[in-house]
Amino acid sequence: MGAYYCAICRQTTFTGKGHIFGKNHQSRLRVVLLKFLEKVKEARRTLKKPQVEKFDCTQHKQTFWCYCCGLEVERNVTDGNMTVLYGGLIEHMATPEHRKNTHKFWWDNKADPKFRDKVIITEEESERFKAEVANALESFVEKEDEFIKQQAEVIRAHERHRQEVLQSLLERDTEPELFSGPNGTDVFAEDAVSSQFPPQGSDRPTGSGFVDSMVEVPRAAAGQGLTFIGYQDSSNGGNVHTGAVPPWLQDDPLEGTSGAAAQLEIGPSLQDFLKHKEQEKLRKLPPNRVGANFDHSSHTDANWLPSFGRVWNSGRRWQSRHQFRQEEGQKTRQKRKREHGAEGSKKTKTT
Amino acid sequence: MSLFLPKLTCKKDIDEVIKCVAEKVVVLRFGRDEDSVCLQLDEILSKTAHDLSNMASIYIVDVDKAPIYTRYFDISYIPSTVFFFNGQHMKVDYGSPDHTKFVGSFKTKQDFMDLIEVIYRGAMRGKMIVQSPIDPQNIPKYDLLYHGI
Repeated sequence: MGAYYCAICRQTTFTGKGHIFGKNHQSRLRVVLLKFLEKVKEARRTLKKPQVEKFDCTQHKQTFWCYCCGLEVERNVTDGNMTVLYGGLIEHMATPEHRKNTHKFWWDNKADPKFRDKVIITEEESERFKAEVANALESFVEKEDEFIKQQAEVIRAHERHRQEVLQSLLERDTEPELFSGPNGTDVFAEDAVSSQFPPQGSDRPTGSGFVDSMVEVPRAAAGQGLTFIGYQDSSNGGNVHTGAVPPWLQDDPLEGTSGAAAQLEIGPSLQDFLKHKEQEKLRKLPPNRVGANFDHSSHTDANWLPSFGRVWNSGRRWQSRHQFRQEEGQKTRQKRKREHGAEGSKKTKTT
Repeated sequence: MSLFLPKLTCKKDIDEVIKCVAEKVVVLRFGRDEDSVCLQLDEILSKTAHDLSNMASIYIVDVDKAPIYTRYFDISYIPSTVFFFNGQHMKVDYGSPDHTKFVGSFKTKQDFMDLIEVIYRGAMRGKMIVQSPIDPQNIPKYDLLYHGI
């Protein structure tokens, strides 16, 4: 007949509308309808009791595909602050176009007519829904307001508590000073409360007496839980803000007095360092080289001989040394004998 | 030519050299300075001494000055060259009857340098006897006589 694309099977058929009655198509249709109906059921549940929630941008912008109209429709209705769940769906289903499309869809695909009405929402139902929605919205708004008021209460309570704590501390400290400077105390206490700083000695010439005593006692300041340790006077030396020389670069008063003496040097001496360098080089050499464990600086006596493998020897090299020493020994003995013999003959000649 | 190479004149000096030179081949030439073949060998030694300075230290010994070593190393022909590494004597198979020393002079400087390199590499790998890289035609020939002891 011509090419015909079936949206449910997602196939192009050339056999015309015959495939609609086939097994494949019908089974797919059933699956599709089931899924669709599930969504509609959820929506119907909220018909009688609409749900209004605070707008949550991650969840409430969902859309769904209406098979009958072939459109994507927004599930919820929102105005930025609040959403009516499933509002969009219900609105769409109430429209007359949707009605028409549903009928067409059912006829074209030869679906079960029992389910057809479930997908449509009648006008009365939608009117009722809208009224309910209005009520629900009002109650929602009321609830939100209440919640906000509660939060404000909590915050105010915290603030009050803090003020009370501060007051109690100040009262404790100002009591002993009431005797010494009655006039300045109140002014001073008020200023302390408002500024929340420990006062500088130079700014308050009148109250300097009790300022010092106040400053010396470490107490919790108005800032949460800090201990005040006293005004640091660095007027004779410098400090970090004036750019003075830091203590670790200043000359140590504990140093030796003679200027000519060398500073205590840290680290190895030159000799040690050179020796270390040599050792490093040695470490890189292969450990199984000839004479790796030969001690170059060992002291040997005058008749030391190196290890030498002799020509006519087989066997260990020290044997050649041993043999050589023996031969030397024999040779000297022979020499002495000859000398003795010669001397003896000389003597006989002379005498 | 032997003016440029260090000379050792007594046993003590020789001992010191053998014991103290570390991680380098010690080359001891035994001979006499006036002898013609010794002169040839000395020329080769002095000309290559600088290039081989990282691998070898070369010394000249007069056979008359240290008779004990002449006897110990069994030196019958001069010049004879003996090799040590870290106090150990290195033997080399030249294709001649005596592996303990090199008898005679080298034909070219390259021969000597090759030989030193082979000895050095062998010593680094723990070998106390190595195979000479010199062409056997260039090795001087001699007869080795066996003295009854």
